[in-house]
Amino acid sequence: MVFTVYFCFPSVFVNLEDGLDKMGIPVLLHLGVVLVLSPLLLGIIGKTKACLTGRIGAPLLQPYYDIGKLFRKGNVYSTTTTWIFQAAPIVCLAAVLVSSLLMPLGGLKAPIVFWGDILLFAGLYGLARFAMVLAALDTGSSFEGMGASREATFSCLTEVVLFLDFIILSCVSKKIVLSEMVQGNALTSWHLAGPALILMGVSYFLVLLAENARIPVDDPATHLELTMVHEVMVLDHSGWDLAYILYGSAIKLFVLGSLLVNILIPSYHLSPFMQTMMFSGGMFVLSFGIGVVESCMARLRLNRIPQLLIGAFVLALVGVLVVLLKGA
Amino acid sequence: MTFLLYSLAVLTGAVFLMALTARFRRISGNIFLFSLVMASVLGLFSAISVLVSRAPVDYHLNFRMPLGEFFIGLDSLSAFFLLAITVLFFLAGIYGYAYLKDDHKRNLSVHFVFYHLLFISLILVVAAKNAVVFLMAWEMMTISSYFLITFYHEQKSVRDAGYLYLIAAHAGTFCLWVMFLLMGQHAGSLNFDQMSMSAFPDTLTGLLFVLGVIGFGVKAGFIPLHIWLPHAHPAAPSHVSAVLSGVMIKMGIYGLMRLILIIKIFPEWCAVLLLLIGIISGVGGVLYALGQHEIKKLLAYHSIENIGIIALGMGIGLWGQLYHNEFVALIGYAGALLHVFNHAIFKGLLFLSAGSVIRSTHTGEIDRLGGLLKYLPWTGHLFLIGAISICGLPLFNGFVSEWLVFRALFEGMFHFKMNAIVFSGAGIIALALIGGLAAACFTKAFGAIFLGNSRSIDNSHLKENPWEMCAPMAVLAGICVWVGLFPFTMVSFALGAASSIYPIKTSPIAAGTIISPLLMVVVVLLILIMAIAVLTLLKRISMKFLAIEKSLTWGCGYSHPTNRMQYTASSFADSILRIFRTVMGYSVAKGSSHVVEVCEEFIFRPVFQVIKFLSAKLKIIQCGYTQWYLLYIFVFLLFLLIWKMV
Repeated sequence: MVFTVYFCFPSVFVNLEDGLDKMGIPVLLHLGVVLVLSPLLLGIIGKTKACLTGRIGAPLLQPYYDIGKLFRKGNVYSTTTTWIFQAAPIVCLAAVLVSSLLMPLGGLKAPIVFWGDILLFAGLYGLARFAMVLAALDTGSSFEGMGASREATFSCLTEVVLFLDFIILSCVSKKIVLSEMVQGNALTSWHLAGPALILMGVSYFLVLLAENARIPVDDPATHLELTMVHEVMVLDHSGWDLAYILYGSAIKLFVLGSLLVNILIPSYHLSPFMQTMMFSGGMFVLSFGIGVVESCMARLRLNRIPQLLIGAFVLALVGVLVVLLKGA
Repeated sequence: MTFLLYSLAVLTGAVFLMALTARFRRISGNIFLFSLVMASVLGLFSAISVLVSRAPVDYHLNFRMPLGEFFIGLDSLSAFFLLAITVLFFLAGIYGYAYLKDDHKRNLSVHFVFYHLLFISLILVVAAKNAVVFLMAWEMMTISSYFLITFYHEQKSVRDAGYLYLIAAHAGTFCLWVMFLLMGQHAGSLNFDQMSMSAFPDTLTGLLFVLGVIGFGVKAGFIPLHIWLPHAHPAAPSHVSAVLSGVMIKMGIYGLMRLILIIKIFPEWCAVLLLLIGIISGVGGVLYALGQHEIKKLLAYHSIENIGIIALGMGIGLWGQLYHNEFVALIGYAGALLHVFNHAIFKGLLFLSAGSVIRSTHTGEIDRLGGLLKYLPWTGHLFLIGAISICGLPLFNGFVSEWLVFRALFEGMFHFKMNAIVFSGAGIIALALIGGLAAACFTKAFGAIFLGNSRSIDNSHLKENPWEMCAPMAVLAGICVWVGLFPFTMVSFALGAASSIYPIKTSPIAAGTIISPLLMVVVVLLILIMAIAVLTLLKRISMKFLAIEKSLTWGCGYSHPTNRMQYTASSFADSILRIFRTVMGYSVAKGSSHVVEVCEEFIFRPVFQVIKFLSAKLKIIQCGYTQWYLLYIFVFLLFLLIWKMV
């Protein structure tokens, strides 16, 4: 049957073989950049918070030391758990890592570009979340079950907002390809769809905070299990598993943040060097911004978080309406 | 075609043989298995040959029936549904044979006879080329499935569920009779081919479409016509639930597609209606599923959700057809069709593994179970594959069909006018929400049943079910992975079937633009698998040099945790249901949560109460004297006579 398909659509297979030859090195380069740079964002956020609260704070490279330390530690596994508990951090890290392949990073073009890659992008995050929620339930601990339940709840809402933002972007750029959506005609579209893009930026920033467990949705430094969301899900993980999880969340912040930077800074017409500079500057400003938000806000009460996310939903919805009315 | 006729002949022969040998368990069981394998293989051959050659085949029988002729045939659309039917019936049948083997109280051959009758009637429904044959097969399907549902008839709840199903199905069939008679009256023939050649006026097409949506929608389980479904599916034995949910409710979808194929041009609001039904059924189905505490009831509500996704694909396809946008129409229909097949596979898998859990533990209450993955490893891991598939996550088949539906909706946003853009956008949002909620629901179900520790059942004596039950599930899981990682064959089949609904030539370029992004998806997924392998390997190697300890789950300082302290499925779902509490009547009382079935309680129950009240008033004419009844007949004849004369 595969042969039938082969005879019907030989062009498909030829394209694939062409693509695969050129793909290898860019993929590895992209993965390398993401792996090396992503924990730096956490360092910048930490440093910003320390500066704003009048402390010297941990060194900029502290997240690297933390992850490195965990890689040298042994593991403790609960007797209740199954292989799912150990597989989830791996799936989670692999999924967010692979999702970065769809995202252009400054002068570095996305190595894999195809129609509808945003759907796969969202799907990979869904897979990572599915694995982590199952790992939390695998321990049989009521605290971790609680965290898993909250994670599942909030992610339902963030996913909807994410897709609304995708709708705005695809209406503005008339594309459903991540690379082309974020850079296709962002500069020209700022004149036409500026208000919609700003609304989209704000709602996406809220999604970014919620997805990455930042204040005001979740406090990564809290010490009370009852109020945690993401942290409480990984209470039982240790050693390599925990290192994978921390690394995964750093990459997630990096990739989701780079989408925001790509949209808000239209740099596609510049030279690759300038693009990279603009992109790095944007990422720095973004992590500084997150640090500022974290320094001057407290964590919201848990039952307020759905309201915050529904607020983001409404903002994005208004953005869609603006785009549609302009377009019509 | 001859293959299909042989297959029907084998099944019919087996029905008679099993009826004759009903007393001899062994013999009738063997006849069942043998005929099932034969018929499925023959049916599969005929479906695949039509799908590959794309040449429809017909068969006339020289046998006059009232109102028409016995006329059956297979085109790509029928063949696609036939594929799903044969695969699922074959695997669920083998499972069912093993599932019921230890049940010595009941006469199993009767059950097997009705199973075969349902198989025959489903084949006839998709193969019928004449409205009378179609309706007869439809009726046979309803009745044989009623007897399958009421297998455990000594329980009152099962009898009630069966009765509700029978009423709902016949109310739907009534609409179908009206619809087909109207169509036949206008076209001058009850053969589908002749019908599709005549042009229907605008006013009539709207009416026909509404009748079709009600008649077929009852079977498919569109909200608010779904109320029979969550009662009937849990009542039936698991392999029957798998077949009912996997393929029988899809006959409603098949009917609607056949209706669209015949009439072709509808008013625009029909597409709006389908999209709205899709959104409401999809989101409503998964929300109700979250509120369920019984595994099979939860799965039954998920069938409604998936029917909603299929309706979304069909709605956008119909809209594309009305705007003469062949590309959108093709992808929309292909997405809907592929989801029909995928849902048959993963829902079949989930129902079979749920049945395996129930057979081992004798309960389906999610909050009593826990930790079964260690005791039922096959069932558990296969359930996990089904769960990931149904959530539409990458690596498995659900992602592929939802991807197609998403694509059709996004393309709709670009190519259509304002109103269509709004509804496509709403469809995208609904599909995203469905994805998130489904993931929450299946992490809840899998986590509570298979992970953690048992909450109130003693797991220690449990053992895995026999291989005859695990093998069919493993095959279904294999199909999930196959379609998820190598989607080309099934997508091209679905495209072929879709192009038979809206007759256009699928140009190789159009098909290439649909399939080549999917190929890139596969490339990314292969990179994902490689990444997982590398990370696993790194961890494995380093683990050799590091200390690994075993200990209890950390209780945050509490030193004597018990199993009853674990988070339950109800509390897991609570935080989501609270957000939607006003829409679905969610309440927590005395430590247990409850969801009100709004359509059942506030629409159908009052209506039926009024009907009951009125029919009680009619009792006065029923006095019990034969003379009176003769008088009624006489009066009625007189009335008819006068009617004729005037």
